[in-house]
Amino acid sequence: MRIQSRAVNLIQWAARLGLLIMILSSFLPPPPRAILGETHTVETMRPQVCVHTRLIDEVDEWKIAQSLQYVREMGAATIVEFFPWAYVESSRDQYNWASVDRIVRHTENQGLRVIARLGIVPEWARPIDQEHTSTQNTLTPEFYADFAEFAAEFASRYAGIIDEFIIWNEPNLAFEWGFQAVDPLRYVELLQTVYPAVKRANPNAVVMAAPLAPTLEPRGSPNGLNDLLYLEALYENGAADYFDALAIHTYGFTRPADDPPSAETLNFRRAELLRAIMIRYGDTDTPAYITETGWNDSPRWANAVSPPQRIAETIRGYEIAESWDWLESMCVWVFRFPAPTFNYPDYFTLVNVDFQRKPIYYALRSYARGLAQSETLWLPPPVE
Amino acid sequence: MAATTRRIIALLPFTWVWWILGALLPVIAIPRTPAPPTACDAFPRGEIRVGVDASHAPFAAYVNDTLVGIDIDLANALAAQIGLPVRFVPLGYDGLYDALYADQIDVLIAAVPRDPARTNRVLYTPSYFEAGIALVTSRSSTVSQMSDVSGRRLAYEFGSSAHSEVDIWARRILPFTRMPYQYAAYALDAVRLGQADAALVDTITLHQYLDAHPEWDAHTPRIILSIPYVIALRIDRPSQAVMVTAALEELRSSGALDTLIARWL
Repeated sequence: MRIQSRAVNLIQWAARLGLLIMILSSFLPPPPRAILGETHTVETMRPQVCVHTRLIDEVDEWKIAQSLQYVREMGAATIVEFFPWAYVESSRDQYNWASVDRIVRHTENQGLRVIARLGIVPEWARPIDQEHTSTQNTLTPEFYADFAEFAAEFASRYAGIIDEFIIWNEPNLAFEWGFQAVDPLRYVELLQTVYPAVKRANPNAVVMAAPLAPTLEPRGSPNGLNDLLYLEALYENGAADYFDALAIHTYGFTRPADDPPSAETLNFRRAELLRAIMIRYGDTDTPAYITETGWNDSPRWANAVSPPQRIAETIRGYEIAESWDWLESMCVWVFRFPAPTFNYPDYFTLVNVDFQRKPIYYALRSYARGLAQSETLWLPPPVE
Repeated sequence: MAATTRRIIALLPFTWVWWILGALLPVIAIPRTPAPPTACDAFPRGEIRVGVDASHAPFAAYVNDTLVGIDIDLANALAAQIGLPVRFVPLGYDGLYDALYADQIDVLIAAVPRDPARTNRVLYTPSYFEAGIALVTSRSSTVSQMSDVSGRRLAYEFGSSAHSEVDIWARRILPFTRMPYQYAAYALDAVRLGQADAALVDTITLHQYLDAHPEWDAHTPRIILSIPYVIALRIDRPSQAVMVTAALEELRSSGALDTLIARWL
């Protein structure tokens, strides 16, 4: 009888304990959905090879893992990833780092270095009086300090893991500047606000001035401002003290990689003109990163080339960049999109939505890792 | 009771007025449908600002500094139907939707498919062009759907959206022989020359290929993946969407839409 009641007692306590564990476990963060394997290192002969990824909008964690595995296997040591302010601080002073954390977890696992591009204004930081005319890129000066605070929080949290930051994207284009008048002075003021905040949070941080869109738009154009003129204006307005490196966007469009640079031409070597401006303003020791580059092989886009040309010019672009001792990394736009656009931007990717690696992926892998390319990817053209 | 009512009515001045009002009451009380918005109500600027991507032939491109293409002709036809002038705003692909959100344009006609992620801010019209992936065979072929491809040869462009569809169908149906080519046109060559039994290609490539090979009696039994190109408008201006959709449907029913597309494809 006594033994029976003790057994009942034990069962009751076990049930209570089980219930308590269930309740407590509901407070724990969910386990990662993609299991991390052993930590990897990138095998590469050309550490300047880098790709721009688009992982932040990925719903399935395994797709982040798969993408980064392919990046590592390609021999790219670095990625640029976009981390929108609006995703992390959707309510003022309430930070949710979950989406950043899961990307960082996988980049660390694959042994990849991350350059963080910061941008996108949360709803609460957009001008109220422009409710119907503002966009996610409309950052007005009254919210510069809030953006700086976010950037500093980011820099502090990931110090030692992510140390390189790009402050905004292509502010010389009207739509990237939220359809406000494109104004280099305003962007300098943004750098002046963000730079000290990030440096206080992480003294080892490398703060990059925003890459400018390659464009020939003249002064006064509603669409934007020529990147060369914009960069000169940044220096004229004292930006040099507020960035450690310049981010550059340079695309080949329909021209070969060797096409000589010219102020009137949009081509790959336009990067040399931006570098010349840096030197002219005495900024010789400041390095540059090409954070977007590439060619497009859409059959219908006016600025595209054929797939074989795309491969040849991209590799040639890397070969040319090997002699640019001022360049830290060169990142191809874009590794993969989370969903197809069903339009020509899909032809910038190295890997399609379903993780089908394109010929250019294999070509870049061969270049980066010094491997001979042996795969036969397609059949010869049919003959009559 | 009736006498009391008569006495009350008699107390009111202008009794005959009250009788008339009483008679009209049912007519006045019937809720009336508001008048449909006029073109100028919907587009108060007196013009329709159309955002286009001028780097994407045959939809929009510059030829001798003039905008031409399907999207340009469609915008002009819609504006004529609505009765307002059109003003084109050339945009880069990345800025298409931002221009709509920031009130730089009223309408976006730029070969864009419906994007479910944007439907909290955007209204889409029905499709004006099907840009999907088509199954293409020769007229004499017995292949009329993807399950018929089992045991046969299927051609496609390596790395394209069609390639993704091939991967999907490889898991759904019995094995078939994959024939990847560097270009979609080569995949169509293979079918035309009898070296493949069917091809998966996008409809724009197909249109252009058939234009270049009028002698080939090709058959397109099925769209395997539908990618409808649509017109995008602001969700907070539904009268614009109503007007543009009505005009588009009018163009469709009159056959003008098909004629317009056939001019370019």
